[in-house]
Amino acid sequence: MFGTVLQTGDWGFILANWEWLALGTVVTVLLTASSLAVGLLAGFPAGAIEAYGSGRLRGAVSTAGVLLRATPIVVLMVLVYYGLPIPRLGSIPVLDVRLSAFFAATLALGLRSAAYQSQVFRGAIGSIDDGQMEAARSVGLTRFQAIRHVILPQAIRRSVPGFQNEFTIVLKDTSVAIAIGLAELLTRAEDLYLQPGRDTAMMEAIIVISVIYFVLTFTTNRTLEYLEDAYAIPEGTET
Amino acid sequence: MSLLEVTHVEKSYENEDVLRDVSFAMDRGDVEVIVGPSGAGKSTLLRCVNRLTEIDDGAITLDGDPIHSLDVNDLRRRVGMVFQDFNLFAHRTARGNITLGLEEVLELDHATAVDRADAYLDRVGLADQADSYPAELSGGQKQRVGIARALAMEPELMLFDEPTSALDPELVGEVLEVMTDLADEGMTMLSVTHEMGFARSAADTLTVLDDGQIVERGPPENLFEDPDHDRTAAFLGQLTDLGQ
Repeated sequence: MFGTVLQTGDWGFILANWEWLALGTVVTVLLTASSLAVGLLAGFPAGAIEAYGSGRLRGAVSTAGVLLRATPIVVLMVLVYYGLPIPRLGSIPVLDVRLSAFFAATLALGLRSAAYQSQVFRGAIGSIDDGQMEAARSVGLTRFQAIRHVILPQAIRRSVPGFQNEFTIVLKDTSVAIAIGLAELLTRAEDLYLQPGRDTAMMEAIIVISVIYFVLTFTTNRTLEYLEDAYAIPEGTET
Repeated sequence: MSLLEVTHVEKSYENEDVLRDVSFAMDRGDVEVIVGPSGAGKSTLLRCVNRLTEIDDGAITLDGDPIHSLDVNDLRRRVGMVFQDFNLFAHRTARGNITLGLEEVLELDHATAVDRADAYLDRVGLADQADSYPAELSGGQKQRVGIARALAMEPELMLFDEPTSALDPELVGEVLEVMTDLADEGMTMLSVTHEMGFARSAADTLTVLDDGQIVERGPPENLFEDPDHDRTAAFLGQLTDLGQ
């Protein structure tokens, strides 16, 4: 079966349309970046509130997290896209991306990511020894100063491995935006093989974008690992 | 006027009395060592003085100021604390551990803070370790940084909560040496420790705490040679045996 699907003519077709896929890659990268930015901006405060907060605010944050984590991402994206009054904002010319779809995808992926990043961050905060807070308070630092200067710098470092997972998940899940017709990488691959007479190029298109997804996740994870090492707290060989 | 005055202090956790009617006073320059069996309330007593723990009843004053009328961060700036487990800020160098409080609490500019931090590191014999991170230091070095961190705030009173209990025996000496120097220089020190050598040589007053109450309090030589209470004799006897 593969013999008939993987034809040299189909590879040539994909290659001839590399710009089409390259633009899709740009959209995927932009969507990943915007979603992770929303995830960070909402997730880290949410994690801090879950770790240090109390009362209604903490209850609300924690409930929102439970709901977001319990909703499949496709469902969430469709809900946001069709359910929220997102104005028609026109489109980005070269990339052929409707801003309303991009915005909805960012919101869905970003909020879902925030719900997971908050847990990564909350766990990292919880893993810092209580003695660190006590020592900071004993010097006369306020609770806020102690969190800012002593707890957070350590907690953020411990969040990097969890964040790395989250980055990979968000990048791959941008493909879910095909459900709302956003012209990201998977959607564009589909555009190619759905052209009349090009259905035999499906496997080739999917293989090519798989490689692109792999290269993106691999290089970024390596970069994050490098940063983790570069900013690691020095440890002696003996104590 | 006493520098520290503890009057009829009571503290309980979930109906279990930890401190019962504890009263004592320290003058400026006094060195006081508190001993007692584990669970006696020694650490709780120290923690009440800088309000890491709040008392249930009674009063504590620092240089005449009731500590509950002071801003808690202002109180803690005036009272240094050294912990059994060091609690150095793991992500900051030895110098950075000290400058944090200087810059954020005392609001010194960075250069002044660094100068002062280095001076205090020198004082505990660690001038050459200013750029080391806690994980790169030995236990004794960590505790000396802990002492320098507290001292650099130039507190009126220093609290030591079993400062050598987490150390390997061969590292205890370097920490006690720093503490002894500090005592000689006139620092007011309230220390929970099982180091009877330090108690005998450096302390003006030895207090035996048991079951949340002061059993006996007086000059160390009196308590060692001629204790009024059997419990004092038994407890100090145990510690001294262990130390030898």
